[in-house]
Parts: sequence; C-alpha cells; structure tokens
Amino acid sequence: MTDMTPNTLSRAWLALIALSSGSAVIAELTGSGIDRRLVGVLIVGLALMKARVILSAYLGLSKAPTWRRGFNLSLALFCLLLLGLYLASGLTA
Amino acid sequence: MSGGADASVLDELPGEVMIWVLIVSELLVFGAGLAAFLAVRLSDPAGFAEAQDHLHRTGAALNTIVLISSGYLAARALQWRVAGRRVAARGALLVAAALGVVFLIIKGAEYADKAGQGITYETHPFFTFYYLLTGFHAAHVVAGIAILLLVAWRDAPRNIETGAAFWHMVDLVWVLLFPVIYLLA
Repeated sequence: MTDMTPNTLSRAWLALIALSSGSAVIAELTGSGIDRRLVGVLIVGLALMKARVILSAYLGLSKAPTWRRGFNLSLALFCLLLLGLYLASGLTA
Repeated sequence: MSGGADASVLDELPGEVMIWVLIVSELLVFGAGLAAFLAVRLSDPAGFAEAQDHLHRTGAALNTIVLISSGYLAARALQWRVAGRRVAARGALLVAAALGVVFLIIKGAEYADKAGQGITYETHPFFTFYYLLTGFHAAHVVAGIAILLLVAWRDAPRNIETGAAFWHMVDLVWVLLFPVIYLLA
C-alpha cells in the first residue's frame, strides 16, 4: 500500500468521484422512461468499477496482480448475482 | 515446495495478512446481507420501490463523496509517513477521521428524518434491511474513526497501513451498499 504514487492516488480519487456522480445521475433517469433494466446494469457496473479502483489503488492490489485478479473475479461474480436478483424482480412484478 | 509457493503468494499481499482476512470476512457478511435484501425484494418489488422513495439519495451520494475523500486522505497519510512527513500524515489522518464524523452526522440526520416520519425497522422489510445494513456499516465507521485516531497517535508506518486498510474496507463496503439500497429502484 506504500507503493502508490501521489498521482496514482489522486487519479483514483478523481475516478471515484466521477463514478459516484455518474451513479447518482443515472439513478435519476429511472423515472424518465429509460428502461430500468439498463439503469440497473449501469448502476451495478459503476459500483463494480468503484470497488475495483478502491482495491487496486487505495488497498494497493495493483502491486499484487494475482490477488487483484482473484478479488476482481469474485466481485464481478457477486455483482452478477446482485444484478440477476434485481432483474428477476421484473419477472415477479 | 508447495509451502514456499504459498508463502510467496501471501507475501504479495500489501500489509498484514490478518487485515485481509478481516476485509474478506466483512465483504462476505455485507455481501450476504445485500444478496438477501435483493432476494426478499423479489417477493414485493413494488413495496420495496415505494419504501426506497423515502430515502435521501442526495445525502447518501454526498456521503459517498465524503467517504472516498476520507479514504484518499488515509492513503496519502501512509505515503507521507513513509516519506518522514509525520505532521502531514497525522493531519491527514485527523481530517480523514473528521470526514468519518461528517458521514455519521449525515447518516444521523437521515435516521432522524425517518423517525420523524414514523418509519422504524418494522415498517416494511425494506427498512429492516435498511437499518440493519446501514446501521452495521455505521458501526464500522465509528470503529474506523477510533482506529484512525489511534494510528494518528501511534503513527508507525505499519500501524497507519493497517488502520488505513480497515478504513478502505469501510469505504469498499459502502460503494457496494449504497447503489443496492439507495439506487436500484
């Protein structure tokens, strides 16, 4: 975790701000006629990207590629599970 | 031989192994909670959507910015400490902890607003999960603030690295919890 350069951390922080702002803007589109399934995919996708940035830059997994791949794969599968449960609610509604 | 290979993979992990055990454990606990939330939502998606409309998305989005900025300062504190800039490192840790307090104040205002509307954890299953997951996360924020203050005092680089890792875990949980509870309508 000590190997990150200040620039890397600052870029990660800016990326997180941008991704978080993107999530909030996309969430507002839910009631504007845009398909809620698409909105769900985008929101979960952005959450996954934020988690990857935190793991890689803040927690320093960019210097541990094996672990980073493992965490990224696990998180991607978890997000797919969340997305599947979210989209399945459209079938039961 | 295989023992040596295992050790090299573990050695690749930044920081203490035990903090990573904690991070994985917490992710599993919160992950199970979020999956259960969405699974129960299947039984009443309209009721969950209606309940979700009572939440303050703007306040929660602001809290996301607060936490990721706090995490940035905790990460910078470690860099400054390693570079021998102890005062800057301590200052960054104190500001990071203060931002944690800001997070709790916003969260407290949100809870007070719900209480004012007569909303409790029994109002709807949505709010049972809402209070359980956000409350448990807020408890981690309280613990994280205490840890940040502790490592600002006992500021060995290894201490700061471990304390910051705990804080990043709190951050990581929030960026997964926030969109599921507040945004997925």
